[in-house]
Amino acid sequence: MNARQAALHPTDLPVAPTVDAGWILVEEGFTLAREHELESLFAFGNGYTGSRASLAEGSALSSPATFLAGVFDSEAGPVSGPAATADWTRLSATIDGQPLGLDHGHSLEHRRVLDMRQGILWREWRHQNGGSRVTWLQMLRLASLADRHVLVQCVTITPENYNGTVSIDAALTGTLTQVTGSGTTVAMAVARRIVDSAGRWMGSPQQVVGQLSFEVRLGETYRLDRMVAVYTSRDTGEPREMASRQVERAIEDVNDVIAEHRDAWLARWKASDLRIEGDAAAQRALRFAIYHLSSAANPEDERVSIGARGLSGTAYKGHVFWDTDIFMLPFFILTYPEAARALVMYRYHTLPGARAKAARLGYRGALYAWESADTGEEMTPPFVVSPDGEIVRILTGEQEHHISADVAFGVWKYWEATGDERFLVDAGAEILIETARFWASRAERKDDGRYHIRGIIGPDEYHETVDDNAYTNGLAQWNLEVGEEVTRLCAQRWPEQWRALSRRLGLEAEEPRRWLQVARELYTGFDEQTGLFEQFRGYFGLEDIDLAAFAARTAPMDVLLGRERIKRSKIIKQADVVMLVHLLWERLPPEVRKANFEYYEPRCGHGSSLSPAIHALVAARLGDAARAERYFRQASEIDLSDNMGNAAGGVHVGALGGLWQAAVFGFAGLYFTDEGPEHRPNLAPSWRSLSMRFQWRGRWHEVVLPESGAERRTTGDDP
Amino acid sequence: MSEASILVPLDGSEQALAALPVARVLGETERAALRIVHVGERKPPDAELLERLRLAAPALDRSIVEVRTGEPAAEILLAAGEVKPRLIVMCTHTAAKPGKVLGNTATNVLRHAPCPVVLVPPGHGSFAWHLHHVLVPHDGTPTTSAALRPAAELAERASAELLVAHVTDIGAAPAEAGSLTTPRYIDQPQHEWPAWTSEFVKRVACICPLGHLHVRMVLAHGNPAAEIVRLAKKQSTDLVVLAWRGKWEVPHAATLKAILREAWCPIMVLRA
Repeated sequence: MNARQAALHPTDLPVAPTVDAGWILVEEGFTLAREHELESLFAFGNGYTGSRASLAEGSALSSPATFLAGVFDSEAGPVSGPAATADWTRLSATIDGQPLGLDHGHSLEHRRVLDMRQGILWREWRHQNGGSRVTWLQMLRLASLADRHVLVQCVTITPENYNGTVSIDAALTGTLTQVTGSGTTVAMAVARRIVDSAGRWMGSPQQVVGQLSFEVRLGETYRLDRMVAVYTSRDTGEPREMASRQVERAIEDVNDVIAEHRDAWLARWKASDLRIEGDAAAQRALRFAIYHLSSAANPEDERVSIGARGLSGTAYKGHVFWDTDIFMLPFFILTYPEAARALVMYRYHTLPGARAKAARLGYRGALYAWESADTGEEMTPPFVVSPDGEIVRILTGEQEHHISADVAFGVWKYWEATGDERFLVDAGAEILIETARFWASRAERKDDGRYHIRGIIGPDEYHETVDDNAYTNGLAQWNLEVGEEVTRLCAQRWPEQWRALSRRLGLEAEEPRRWLQVARELYTGFDEQTGLFEQFRGYFGLEDIDLAAFAARTAPMDVLLGRERIKRSKIIKQADVVMLVHLLWERLPPEVRKANFEYYEPRCGHGSSLSPAIHALVAARLGDAARAERYFRQASEIDLSDNMGNAAGGVHVGALGGLWQAAVFGFAGLYFTDEGPEHRPNLAPSWRSLSMRFQWRGRWHEVVLPESGAERRTTGDDP
Repeated sequence: MSEASILVPLDGSEQALAALPVARVLGETERAALRIVHVGERKPPDAELLERLRLAAPALDRSIVEVRTGEPAAEILLAAGEVKPRLIVMCTHTAAKPGKVLGNTATNVLRHAPCPVVLVPPGHGSFAWHLHHVLVPHDGTPTTSAALRPAAELAERASAELLVAHVTDIGAAPAEAGSLTTPRYIDQPQHEWPAWTSEFVKRVACICPLGHLHVRMVLAHGNPAAEIVRLAKKQSTDLVVLAWRGKWEVPHAATLKAILREAWCPIMVLRA
């Protein structure tokens, strides 16, 4: 305990809410129908656990849930989803027998604050019950970033105009153990205490069962602390014992636990904050992105990854998509390389599933699951009943093969940025080789003497079972070349390990050379005359529909036009060729980048949340800062707009990663060359400056970008 | 506590009788007596009343007949104010008036009624009616959810299926906080649609309790009125329930008017 904490009043919390509007999300009052959205937006986590921000006392639209990364429940059906754990936040109270709730009496003040800077969910509530008793409550919840197994809930209660009896029913007490459908044992140990303003304990931590009643006096403050420790059989052979021991320690030092958590978040922000001058909304949106990205990552567990909605909701069943490798990973590579390493290692540990999928479909190497959970097996549901009653077959699990190149791309970018030799030798090279091997078997040589990839779905999922998708072929070509490059690199620098690896993989000397041949002769759809890539064979012959006529839409184009019409049109769901331009920027001449953006951008319906940010990024790089800013704003509103109902199932972590990339690679114009990082900024018109930190090959770089140019300082220190 | 009732205005025309089979089923469902209200210029002799209303004596079982004189809509509304009925069930119009959606009486009753109004097209005739499928168009706003409570209660009492229809069109989404409209982004339909459907129903249910109702959600796109009519026909709907914000003059109530114009089944109008 430090001096500041020693000076605290017994019921004082050791931290105060952040007041700077750039660091907080605030919800004033209460709108019942928004609860699911708020539970997602205000969710808090540490990459090991994630909890939705449900009201402690519940409501008619509360869906409290705490998720544990990598803990799935296969009993829910053939497609596994996140296991539901006990609701440790549940807390109901009465004041002199009358329930304390938003649907009882009046809320004189009610305010919830997501304190992104400190990683704390705050709630301030001044409640008047039916008997005119006014109670002031302050609540905090957090998932410790300093000790990922610990969860904290504190409540201070101050009767403003009465003496009376408070009864608290903290439903979850003691140590609970559950076994999920997939066989994981989850142990959750709970301890609580209540102290009065003189520091006297009301009851004891051992009094864990049932309701706790105590007398309160006008003007005095009482504080409830509830500490939770979570372990699973994924962590230890004795999860119950570990959880019990940990919670006993934690309840003795609640203030220290909170302070250490806050310090851990401050350190995280020191490494990753992105400061914008001149645009408060953009600043808040970027911090929101960084907050949720950071909340979803755990550098200590390389057998889990980040699902499409992180640990903030049940949507997407916790499944991992290309969102992680292409949209989220760059943030971690440059600001949290330890977490990035865990994410790419997850792809290494799920290689057996990828190999099995490739073999099942008749290919060699590794074809990653379009939707991956704990084992790496394909988890994509085979069909869905759409709300218009149509049974729609889902082909992405069978045909969206670019995922393998996306994984390889992420692996290579991690290696380039970190120079993590041990990773490359022990894991990365194997992924790059096995994915290259897949593409070499996936491409077929046809009568025209070229290799083709047929029957595929690209990022534009409106068009299924197409041939030679430009993005897929472009990334496959890159993957084949990098696969060959890594074999040379390994043979040259780590000959001993390389011999063992190539022997284990059964890699013959001529195989990498064949990869290069396939890459050279792979059809790309590029037209030298126009400088355009045809998104897939036959795309240019499809119906052109002017999207400007649908500018006011609030629904995606495939809903407005119907699936069949959209398949026959040039309208695309999301950045596809534009995505290729972004990822392979340095390989394409400037006029090709521009020509393709100008052609495909007006034809993109942005039916995916991943799309606007990439358009912002590419527009900024092309120097069209105004258009980039419009897309950036659209991307930033995906979760934060008031009526984004599809945030109810969790925040869009991939889109948040895209938003961060739009700021860093787009507006800040960060590029990596052989000489190292450099900036060619194109700041949004309303941004006066952008400053950031990032790590490149073990060194931290600090950058401040005024509109007139870049200032950079390189340090070897930790941030 | 007075007996629950359903008010059934009959003007003595053949068309007006279309309301009766509907009112009878609703009365059984709501455990409410039918209160037939006839408004004329003068009170007919008792012996002529049934003939005036084109009713046979058995039609009056478990019914009360009240005869009033004066302006029809005003008297019906006065009667409604006195007996506080659960519903008013009446024919949309008893004389064809080109270009008009409702007759004058029905229009005035609808605009000022203190309770939900069920409007029955005259073409429905005296055929038997049942209540198995209720279609509820929903714009995704909490206001509409709140307005639909009587319809949900009715459907539950009738053990009918509640089909919640959301029609999306090009245009701005409702600004009301807590509204849920068609998602702007469908990243992966296999996850997004089940989640959206579930969320939509939960948002309705948190404001308008759905009890043990069998609820189905359906999404359509296009002109709202045309789509609601299409869905109602496709789903063999017995009753369409519309939440109405109470404004009748152009340009308001365009969807309600269009549906009433095309109506072939009873339409329940609730005040939002």
